[in-house]
This record gives sequence, C-alpha cells and structure tokens, in this order.
Amino acid sequence: MDLFTIFAASILINNFVYYYFLGVCPFLGLSKKVGAAFSMGVAVTFVMVLTAVASWAINHWILIPYGLDYLQIVAFILVIASLVQLVEMFIRKTSPPLYQAMGIYLPLITVNCCIMGLALLASLKNYNFPETVVFGVGAGVGFTIAIVLMAAIREQLELANVPEPLRGAGISLIVTGIIALAFLGFSGMIKQ
Amino acid sequence: MRLSRRMLIVLSLIGLVSGALLMSVNMFTKDRIASNRKKEIEKAVIKVIPGTKSSLKIYEEKDFTVYKGRDDQGNVLGIAINTAAGGFQDRIFYIFGLDTQLTRINSLFVLDQKETPGLGAKIASAEAFLQFWEGRDVKQPLVLRKPAVKKDALAQNEVNTVTGATISSRAILASVNVALEKIKKLKQEGRFSIEGSDGD
Amino acid sequence: MATRTNWEEFSKGLWLDNPVSRQLLGMCSTLAITNAVINGIAMGLAVGFVMICSSFLVSLIRKFIPNQVRIASYIVIIASFVTIADRFLAAYFPPLSKALGPYVPLIVVNCIILGRAEAFASKNTVGRSLIDALGMSVGYIVALLILSSVREILGSGTILGYGVMGDWFEPWIIMILPPGAFIALGILIAIAFQIERKVKQRS
Repeated sequence: MDLFTIFAASILINNFVYYYFLGVCPFLGLSKKVGAAFSMGVAVTFVMVLTAVASWAINHWILIPYGLDYLQIVAFILVIASLVQLVEMFIRKTSPPLYQAMGIYLPLITVNCCIMGLALLASLKNYNFPETVVFGVGAGVGFTIAIVLMAAIREQLELANVPEPLRGAGISLIVTGIIALAFLGFSGMIKQ
Repeated sequence: MRLSRRMLIVLSLIGLVSGALLMSVNMFTKDRIASNRKKEIEKAVIKVIPGTKSSLKIYEEKDFTVYKGRDDQGNVLGIAINTAAGGFQDRIFYIFGLDTQLTRINSLFVLDQKETPGLGAKIASAEAFLQFWEGRDVKQPLVLRKPAVKKDALAQNEVNTVTGATISSRAILASVNVALEKIKKLKQEGRFSIEGSDGD
Repeated sequence: MATRTNWEEFSKGLWLDNPVSRQLLGMCSTLAITNAVINGIAMGLAVGFVMICSSFLVSLIRKFIPNQVRIASYIVIIASFVTIADRFLAAYFPPLSKALGPYVPLIVVNCIILGRAEAFASKNTVGRSLIDALGMSVGYIVALLILSSVREILGSGTILGYGVMGDWFEPWIIMILPPGAFIALGILIAIAFQIERKVKQRS
C-alpha cells in the first residue's frame, strides 16, 4: 500500500475516532471550544508521530529480534508515558506561551487510547518505518478533524434546547454516530 | 532511605517482578499460540487443496505466502497462496489453492474481512461468491462476468460479481490476477520448489 | 464522608458509580467490541480480571510506593496483567482473541482501571479495594451486556449466535457498524440519566 493511500485512508476511511473508536474519552470531555480542540488535536498529532517512530524502533530493534514480543504492551505504554513527559518538559522550557496554550492536555494524552492504539495497529499491520510514520500523521490529522468538528457542533448545541437526559454525553455520542455514518460514505473511495 | 534511592529500588523491583511474571506466562502460552496459528493456516490449506493431510510453507514475502499441500504419502497435491486484497474498508485476507502445474484454481476461501455485513461481506459466503471460483482455468487472467450467471454458464476463466459487493468482488479478482502473475514468475525464476516429497 | 458498608462499596459500581453510564470511562473498548454479546462477555471478563488483580496488587504495596513514581508503577502493574489476559485469550480462545483484536491490549489505557488504582486502591485496604474492583467490574460487565445485546439483536437478529428475531426481521446493519455503536451508547446513557432523574425526583 503506498504512502498516500495509508495517509488518506487513516483520515477518511479508517478514521481513528469514527472507525477505530479510539480517543473517545477526551473527545467527550474537552471538545467544547474549537480553539482548545484544535490545540488538543495538534498536541495529539505531535505525540502520535513521535510514538510512531519510537514504537517502530523498539518493536523492530529490540522486541522482535530478541523474541520479546510478549513485552510489547508494557514497552509501548512506558515509551508513551516517557515521551509525553519529555515533550511536556521540553515545551515548558523552550516555549512558555506554547505550554500555556496546550501543555495542560499533555498528561491526558498518555491515557488517550489513540496513542497506544496507533502503536498497536501499526505493529499489527506490519508497517515498515515510512508507513508507520505516515500512519501516525494521518491518524493525528483524522483525530484533529474529528475533535474540531465535535467542538464546533457542541458550541452550537450549547444554544439548542437539548432534552435533559441527553445533555452532555448522550447527545455528543449520537452526533458522533451521525458523523461516523457520514464518514462511512468515504469507504471504497480509495483503492487500498 | 533517600527518596531517589527508594524510587529507583521500588521501580526496579516492580519491573523485575513483572518481567519475571510475563516471561513465565510467555513460556507457558507461546507454544499453544504458535500451534493455534499453524492449525488455522493448515485448516485453510486443507480447504483449498482437497485431500491435503499436511502443509508446508515454501515461500514467504510480505502479504504473500505460499504453501504446498501433501497427502499421507508426502505427494504434493497442489499449492495454496495466502495473500491480501484491498477491500472496501480494510484489507481482505484470503487463500486460494492451485494445482501443481498452476493451471487451475481448486477453490478460494476468505480468511478475514471487514466488509459491510450483508453487502460486501457476501464475498465470504460460498453460495454467493466462493463457489464460482472452483475449477477456474488460470492460464489466462480471470475476468469478472457481469451480470452474474449460473455457474454452468460461466466460461472457464470467468467469475461472477456479487450484487451489492461490486468493489469487494473486483478487489479479490484484481488481487488474484496479480498473485497468479507473481506465482508464475516466481516459478520461472525457480524461487520455490513444489515437487518432491522433501522432509520438513 | 461516612464509611460505606461492604455492600455499598460493592454495589456503587453497579449503578451509582457505574464506570460506563456514570463515570463515562473506558469508552473505546465499550464501543468497539459490543457488536456481539460473546465479545462483550469476553471483554468484560478480561477487564474484570485486570481490574481486580491490579487493584489488589496496588493496594497491597501502596505503602511502599513513593508518590512520584506511583503512576509509572501502576502502569507497569496494569500492563502486566493486560499482557497476561491477552496471551491467555490468544492461547485458549483464538477466535475470540481475533474478534477482540487490538482492543485487549488497549485495556491498559482503559481509564477505568487506572482510575480505580489511583482513586481507590492506593488509599484503601486490600479488602475494600477488592470489593470496589469487583463492584466496578460487575457494573462494567452489565453495561457491556446491555449494549452488546441491543446491538446484536438489532444488528444481526441473534444473541450469542442464536437467531431470536425470526425471519420477518431485516437486521439494522448499522447497529453492528461504528455509527450504531455511538448512537446506541448515547441513547443508553441518556436512558440511564433519565432513570436516575426519576428516582431522585421520587425521593
């Protein structure tokens, strides 16, 4: 599968939110303002690319050669947690205004299913290095699109008269489902 | 005890214990997991090369693995190709069996697919799709027949499309033709050997 | 806060503090594998196993773990049990393992488990932590059962593979596809909220 196909497919057809169900938790809680949602999306994409690189390296240079693939889960999650820590420290030192804008989301990203999901899926699909990186970028972009869409709709929902039991999680999930339905229309568009 | 020393000790201990635990779980389960995988492939090979009692991998590449199926006496009955096609939503993993001369497809069997249930997923059903693959002549590339006809009316190199699963059917067809070309080329280059009842 | 009885500690996971309908955690797994009841049961048991073992271990050694490294420690502990669950499934239930796919390893980032370890097991005795974990697990399994039953009945017309809807029923395929998962869960959560409102109004 060529790189562009992987990139486009991970945004439209196999969107991390609408197809793989990853990254739903922060999705529901945070996406109330478009600006904040976009920052979150960018932060996630950034961590995703780093994770793609790191997880591929660990998988192919350490785990597989030494027959340690049963340690994959532990290794991946530790790598992700450390990466997020490092990124947070780095941003805090080098760019305080950037840290103000999106540093607070970083600790949350560690338990965001998206990142771990990326590492696991890339490993499952046996992508080589360029494919893994492109997959990471595409996945991040897909997630950003989903979360920004959600935030924009929720901004409007604030003004609407949503029945009490549906407020919050209920309506968010239903709206997400409808958007997922729309995204289904992209299937088959790209020859895999 | 100093805090940093304590942190280090606690983390190392937890790491060691967890490592030991996982290593033992791995030793306990890995054979079973490997044999499960092997059994799955063997079942698939038996399905597409009738009469097979055991299979052996004779060539491997990314997304393209070739097996030969042998009977009790070790005679090679045919080869099976396990590969993937790009489907509607995700890849379709399937296997098909050929005779040793690479002239005929015995049958085709879909191993794993994520197509739309009730529509694209029909390609996994024998009566809707798979039965039309039996006995296809593959000296030339296969062609899709549209509109679909009864099995006896199909020419030897034609396969039916499935209503509601056009993209999935086409995907499999394209992939099979590519695989056929590849296997013929590999055979010419002598990259694998079919004949002979060589030992494992 | 008054001390809860053992029963209250257990039952809060079933309704008042249900991880899915109230705490809104662990959505990824809930949505992904509830397309069939058997998958829901398998995932529920896997999560339960990890949660009970992790809470038990965390509570056992809670006094020895320095504050700064507690999250890292919990993660390693949880990841280990997840690996055990994953390997066990792959070895003894291969078709289930295939159906659940990458979502079993993803249990490690399931907020429910880390949340319980951090919020409860690290601060309570082993006994109470076990009860808490048990309650949360049962609550989670029940939520999964309900969601997967709805999705499987409406989406395939079956339960556990057995047809229950009869020939006249045309399955709502959407229910076993991703959009159906979102919508079904949204509606179920809304129903749960509504029930709670009614109960509160009455008392």
